[in-house]
Amino acid sequence: MIGRIRTQTSEASQFLVDWMEDRTGIVTILEHVLYEPVPKRGAWLYTLGSAVLFTITLQFLTGILLLFYYVPTTDHAWDSVNYIMNDAYFGQVIRGIHYWSANFLMAFIGLHMGQVFFSGGYKSPRELNWVVGVILLLLVIGLAFTGYLLRWDQDGFWASVVGMKIGSYSPFVGGYVVHFLLGGDAVGPATLSRFFAIHVWLLPAAIAPLIGAHLYLLRRHGAFGSEFEYTDRLAKLHERQRMEEYARYETGEDEGEPYVGRRDRADRDGHEGSGE
Amino acid sequence: MTRSDFLGFGVMGAIVGAILTIPPVAFVLGPIIKTDVLGDSNVGSGWQEVGPVSEVPVEEPVDFVVNFPLQQVYGTKAIENPNVQNSESKFTLRNAIWLSWKAPIKEQGRQGSNGDVIGKPQRPAILDEKSEGFTESEREEIMSKLNVLSNSCAHLGCPVRWFPEKQLYLCPCHGGLYDINGGWVGGPPPRGMYRYTEAEVRENGKLYVKHKFNIEKGLDKQEPYVV
Repeated sequence: MIGRIRTQTSEASQFLVDWMEDRTGIVTILEHVLYEPVPKRGAWLYTLGSAVLFTITLQFLTGILLLFYYVPTTDHAWDSVNYIMNDAYFGQVIRGIHYWSANFLMAFIGLHMGQVFFSGGYKSPRELNWVVGVILLLLVIGLAFTGYLLRWDQDGFWASVVGMKIGSYSPFVGGYVVHFLLGGDAVGPATLSRFFAIHVWLLPAAIAPLIGAHLYLLRRHGAFGSEFEYTDRLAKLHERQRMEEYARYETGEDEGEPYVGRRDRADRDGHEGSGE
Repeated sequence: MTRSDFLGFGVMGAIVGAILTIPPVAFVLGPIIKTDVLGDSNVGSGWQEVGPVSEVPVEEPVDFVVNFPLQQVYGTKAIENPNVQNSESKFTLRNAIWLSWKAPIKEQGRQGSNGDVIGKPQRPAILDEKSEGFTESEREEIMSKLNVLSNSCAHLGCPVRWFPEKQLYLCPCHGGLYDINGGWVGGPPPRGMYRYTEAEVRENGKLYVKHKFNIEKGLDKQEPYVV
């Protein structure tokens, strides 16, 4: 009974996967995106990019949720944050995740950048991915800066004033920068509106396609070695997986389809022999 | 491509490009156009009441909060008449003003190395007798001895506070130090505290100011802004 259900379920899901693959090629894409042979040594260091992607995804998701209650006006901004923190169900959790993952995001970006720098991952042909990454870093710093003011409390207010006045010291454009951010020549309603617009739409809209470009360039060249080397390794990985499957098949059912098993083992042995 | 094609594309391209770019750019950069090109200010240009000068003690500065009207999106319309109460729900520009009596500078300091050597602050003697109804010459004397300082630090704009035990203004953000006259004593600020350049004492003994500061452009190749 259970065996039949299992067979039917796996058949149905296989049909769905095949159907999707036939029409979108999604399985091939996912295989290409997800499977990559990684050296065992220092493997944890290679998770830093994924950690950045994960935290920034959290930012997008919790940010969308916070917008359900946040009000970007000078007389209501603080109250709405206060409502989120004290009255909204799981408000502390949602805002807490937004706040803490923003902090961890900056840390992960620093570590990720350091890892790429010290492993020489920015070298040819990956220079452009480094450039895109640096643009992403600047955009994230912009998001961190503009998000601070939105709470409209003393901490965020004065930190933003300090940040804007740092901008005012920049040569030639200092005045324009500070007036652009202030929305005039004094901190007021326009400042909060501008920071809100920049934080919630301008920078996320700029950051999303650049994340796509970053990931595309990563997959184009692979994290370890060139495209050619990468596909070669992937082919070897698939080969090995198939061998393991056959090996399990053989040990499980000794009398079943001996011919295929034998031929395959011969292939594998021959392959390994010639490979080494 | 013929000459007329080129001209046609050029002219049409310029027109279409202008139609597509000028409105959004002007929309977003409006504040820059208004403040830097047209020279407008969001802060009301009228006189604002600060407080009675007789309340300023001899050796301690005292701070007054002034709500300047702010015309910015939905801020208050300029309230030029100080007797009108500002609505609580409207946003005004809350500035703190430090008032103190000038201490005579005995030895001029040098910005970046040492502050001024100053004496005791001098309070006009007339204030011991009366707190309002000053004559023209008395008002002039009061104004010549009064420090009217913005609490916005000249470094990065944090609010400075008077520390009686040190007899200095201290900025909480990066440790800028100023003496009672607002002169630079220590820390990162490139200059002394901002002074209100337009201030006057009236017959009722109260000080009135306009939102104008002694901003010196090109000081140390930096452009300080009062935020």
